Parts: sequence; structure tokens; C-alpha cells
Amino acid sequence: MLCILLYIYLMNETFVTNWKSQVKKGTLTFIILNILKGHEYYGYELIEQIKQHTDMDIAEGTLYPLMNRLKTENLVDSKWVEQETGIPRKYYCLTPVGIKTLAQMNAYWKNLESSIHKIIK
Amino acid sequence: MKIAQIKFNQPAAARVYNDYMKRVKKVTSSLPKESQDDIYMEMNSHIFEAIQHKDKLNEIDSLLDILEKLGPPEEVLKPLVADKKLEQATKTFNPVHVFKALALNITNGISYIIFAILYLFLFGFVILIIAKIVYPSEVGLYYKPNTLFVLGMGTVTKENGVHEYLGNWFIPAMVLAIAVFYILLTALLKLKKNLNKNKS
Repeated sequence: MLCILLYIYLMNETFVTNWKSQVKKGTLTFIILNILKGHEYYGYELIEQIKQHTDMDIAEGTLYPLMNRLKTENLVDSKWVEQETGIPRKYYCLTPVGIKTLAQMNAYWKNLESSIHKIIK
Repeated sequence: MKIAQIKFNQPAAARVYNDYMKRVKKVTSSLPKESQDDIYMEMNSHIFEAIQHKDKLNEIDSLLDILEKLGPPEEVLKPLVADKKLEQATKTFNPVHVFKALALNITNGISYIIFAILYLFLFGFVILIIAKIVYPSEVGLYYKPNTLFVLGMGTVTKENGVHEYLGNWFIPAMVLAIAVFYILLTALLKLKKNLNKNKS
């Protein structure tokens, strides 16, 4: 009996862990765009911002391919800025298309949030 | 922009860093120089900035921790290299880049496998050209209204009413077919890439 209960508990844990991972993956772009709203951040700083705002532990290397996709979709722009240290930083910011797209995404998210709130109350 | 190397006090840290950056270079070596430098500088910048936030006394441990979080270049840079290669291939129409882009994207969906097979079909035309050179009288475009249409090699020439239509124009026609199909396929690949962009 104890074994069965333990098995059900572990199955639930796995399900919730997988679900959390899917939610994180699905919302990462949305989070990045919101963090960049009104700011310019370089890669490492952006990762720190994500961790600080969301408590999300992302695989750091995966940020750069994602930023490249956002750039080819014209949602973000980047520029290299020389530093006194000799190691330049690549700063990312939202493009006008990115700002417009984010406004649409935020409106959708608010709608969804209010619907979910009604369901889970 | 000049690419500066990060300086380490501990020789072991310098070795680990150099090894990692060498792997970054190797993974991106199929890309244009500008893209290679861009990725290299971004990884370099990430490592440098992360080190500034770590314990400077224990350089090697800090570096190992940073590189572990960043992930192996062969894994984390794979989607970035695949995207950039596809972009280069569809922009330049260069067959070498197209081949490499397909090889890198082959695991990204069935459509890329279909594209790879379609590109392989182009070699069929090359084989026909070689066959025409070796067996000039047996290879061609044979046609008889309502009964026969053969592009290739066969004994159909001896049958009644079957004509070979291309003659000496067979090789130029095949070269033209290769060029037309290649451009068409690459344009479709470009369209597919743009559709992916709009979907994601």
C-alpha cells in the first residue's frame, strides 16, 4: 500500500515537473521581451534579470540562439559596445516591431490570466 | 572589432578557457567569418561578465561553474549555427552552403529530410549527362504520342514511331533542368524558412 502511494506521489511529481518545464519554455520569449521593455541589456545581464524577476533557472547557453531568432524576426536589435575592460558587450533592445508585438502579447496574457483566475478560484 | 582574450592568473583556468573557446570556433567554423566572430565574442563576453560576479581567488572553480551553466558549445550553439547556416544558404544559393545547412537541420523536422531527398534527385540529371557521354546513341528523351515518354536510357529507339527529341541538346537541356530545379528547390527552402520564422 505504501509503495502504491509512493508511486502515485512520484508520478504526480514528475507530471508537475514536466508541466513547469513546458510553461517555462513557452513563456521565456514573453519574459525576455517584457524585461527588455524600456531597457537595454547584454547577454549575461539579461540572464541575471530573468533569474531575478522569475526565479527561473534557465540553461544559460540557450539564451543566445533564442536572441538570434528574436533578432531575425525583427523583434529585438543588438549592438556591440566597446568597454574599458577590452571585452565588448552586445546590448539587446526591443525594435518598434518588438514593442508593438509585445503590447499584443501582454493584452492576450492579461485576458488569459483573468480567465484562468476565474477557473482556479 | 578586435577580439580580446580573457586573461587568467591560474594556468589551469587559462587552459580550460582556451579549450572551450577552441570548441566554439570549431562548432561555428562552417559559418561566414562575421558570424563566427559574433558568436565567439558573445560567448567570450558572457564568460568575462560572469567571472566579474564570481570569487576571483578560486578562478578555476568559478570558470568551471560558468562553463557548466553555459553548456557544451556543440550542444548549445547547434540551433544557432543551423539557423545562421540556413540563412546563408538561402541567401547565397551556394550548393555547398545548402548541403551543410540541410545536414545541420536534418533533425529539425521531416520537411528538411524531404528537401534533402529532392536535392538528391538532382543527381539523377547528372547521372543522365554521364550516361549520354558514355552511350550517346542510347540515352535521350524518347516520346511517342499516347504511348511512351522516357527520359533516360533504353532500347526504345528501335521501336516503331519512337523519336528521340533532344539529340545534341540533351546535355545542355539536363544542365538547364538541374539549374532550374535547384533554384526552385532553394527558393522553396527559403519560403519554408520564412514560414518557420512567422510560426515561431
